[in-house]
Amino acid sequence: MGSRREFLQAGIAASLLPIAGLASATETSPVPFYKIIVDQRFSTSVEFGVEWRARGAAVHAIRGDITDLWFHDLDLQWKKRPVPIAGLTAHGPLFCLERLAWDHGMRVVSRVEQPSHDRDGEPLISWVIAPKNRS
Amino acid sequence: MLPPGVNAKDFSDALKQFEEAVGKEWVFTSDEDVALYRDAYSPFWGEPEERVASAAVAPYTVEQVQAVMKTANQYKIPVYPISTGKNLGYGGSAPNLSGSVVLDLKRMNRILDVSERNHSALVEPGVSYFDLYRYIQERKLKLWVDVPDPGWGSPVGNSLDHGGGYLQPMYRNHFDSHCGMEVVLANGDVVRTGMGAMPGAKTWQQYKFGFGPWIDGMFSQSNFGVVTKMGFWLMPEPDAYLTGTVTVPKYDDLIPMVDILTFLENSGVSNGMPGLGSPLLGGFMMPPPAPEVTALLSKPGGSAASPELHQYAQDKSIPFWSCTVKFYGPAKAIREQWEYAKEKFSAIPGAKFQDGEFYKLPLTPDQFDKVHKPEFGLPSLETFSIGARSPINPTPTNGHIWFSPIIPRTGEAVLEANKVFSQAARDFGLPILSFSLPSTYWMRAFIFIFGFPITHDIATNKKNRESFKQLVRIAGEHGWGEYRTAPAFQDAVMDTYSFNNHALRRFHETVKDAVDPNGIISAGRYGIWPKHLRGTKA
Repeated sequence: MGSRREFLQAGIAASLLPIAGLASATETSPVPFYKIIVDQRFSTSVEFGVEWRARGAAVHAIRGDITDLWFHDLDLQWKKRPVPIAGLTAHGPLFCLERLAWDHGMRVVSRVEQPSHDRDGEPLISWVIAPKNRS
Repeated sequence: MLPPGVNAKDFSDALKQFEEAVGKEWVFTSDEDVALYRDAYSPFWGEPEERVASAAVAPYTVEQVQAVMKTANQYKIPVYPISTGKNLGYGGSAPNLSGSVVLDLKRMNRILDVSERNHSALVEPGVSYFDLYRYIQERKLKLWVDVPDPGWGSPVGNSLDHGGGYLQPMYRNHFDSHCGMEVVLANGDVVRTGMGAMPGAKTWQQYKFGFGPWIDGMFSQSNFGVVTKMGFWLMPEPDAYLTGTVTVPKYDDLIPMVDILTFLENSGVSNGMPGLGSPLLGGFMMPPPAPEVTALLSKPGGSAASPELHQYAQDKSIPFWSCTVKFYGPAKAIREQWEYAKEKFSAIPGAKFQDGEFYKLPLTPDQFDKVHKPEFGLPSLETFSIGARSPINPTPTNGHIWFSPIIPRTGEAVLEANKVFSQAARDFGLPILSFSLPSTYWMRAFIFIFGFPITHDIATNKKNRESFKQLVRIAGEHGWGEYRTAPAFQDAVMDTYSFNNHALRRFHETVKDAVDPNGIISAGRYGIWPKHLRGTKA
């Protein structure tokens, strides 16, 4: 599946970035992401989460709305230490997460528009958010 | 990019002074960093006219803001203060004047005081609604914050731009609910308003006016100072919440229905944000109309006022209008208030009633997931899960701007505005719904809110900008003025507030010249340009 391959490539690319926060995450986890974000509204995204969970990743499912993810998890975590996350979502959740990540010195380091729409008809994007390289 | 009128050496020297004031890591000059301040919803996206910053500086303290002001004045650097920079649809964090240095106040995020006894808070500009909500939740305080939708913005920034929420009227007008502010002026002086002007006063967040002219309004939708602290009144957590809906059968029934609603609100009987709807016509947050209704509205000469439509509604027993009234308060009291409201609405022949939601508060976790969160003081980003998706914008990708005129709070005005805006939509080929009902954020006036989609297609954006300006002009000709708008349209809107040869704008300019003679703060914001740029931008 093309989208999965591109996503994995993006993850690998992000894990190789010379970023302090990401490096420390990599040391303590077989997966270079604090969380994988999937959207339960889209079957492609759900399947994606299943694959990542099988690799040992912590997968957080949303239904379009990132409020709970943000308020109960990422806001607290990123205030302590910015850590990378990745996902396969529609534009809306990424739009929010990207702007919230900026406020913690993080950036979208990979953004791949999927070549085909989800079977539900919504354009999906695979992405990686990681601490900004300040070097 | 250089600020307009500033040479490279002076800009470089100013940036060095900014770095000395706030620390090198908090002055942003790289293209990558400065790009974060672009307005994601800019109607000029990708065009030379897009308003973009030259740099950004992020102070941490009031003293650092003062230092930035001093340097900006020395080198005549235009600065553009933002709070959390989430003012999407109204300009985001991009300046009115390209080349301005964004004064990013996000690091000033201290919650200085929250009083459960006084139901108030004192916060800095970088505090978000989420931050304030978390502070209250962690301390289990019985307080609600009136939040806008979405809730990731700043109480300071949102209220200064005249934003609104969903709770009781005294709270959902966010500027009205503020009490006291601290402002750094262009010359670096620090002013506290209201009781904050009296050293030792314990009433800064209790009594707004202090002594002498009340000047707080001058710092909203303006460029006369940098607000660094602001007090707010918070809503005591209510005992319960109740809604009820009245429906009325005829087109003309909108007029008495609105009058009764206004009486109930101005009397304090109904104290939640009401919702107007049309079971017949459908619309925002309502089921779509029947195909027969759409056909009647779409035919040449078709309108909501057509006798055929009225007959269809009667034949099918579909109410023309609905109004959902909402109540916060003691359970016994709000049930009685709803009974009283029903008595009043019963004056309209054919009025029918339906009891709505009742929640004993606080909400249970199960209820929490079902409600429209801002109506319970809960900040949310849920609106982005649907984006700007709507019947007029089924494939949203790039955001929106709002056309949002204030109209009289009468049924007659709603009907007239629909005729005017429907005609304009036909004339300009605009994607406006066939009938729209106003929002009820403000107690004493209605506001229409139409979203204009923003694309990354220059030709489409250009067409939409021209249409937007035409709507502003047409609305102005009827006495309906925008309450707030994006920088791209602030001059056009200010042009419509033209009584006595633009006396209000001339007064704004007089004040601007007096308090900010070098014009360093937010040049052009809400149509107020400094003297050296006046006439060249508007």
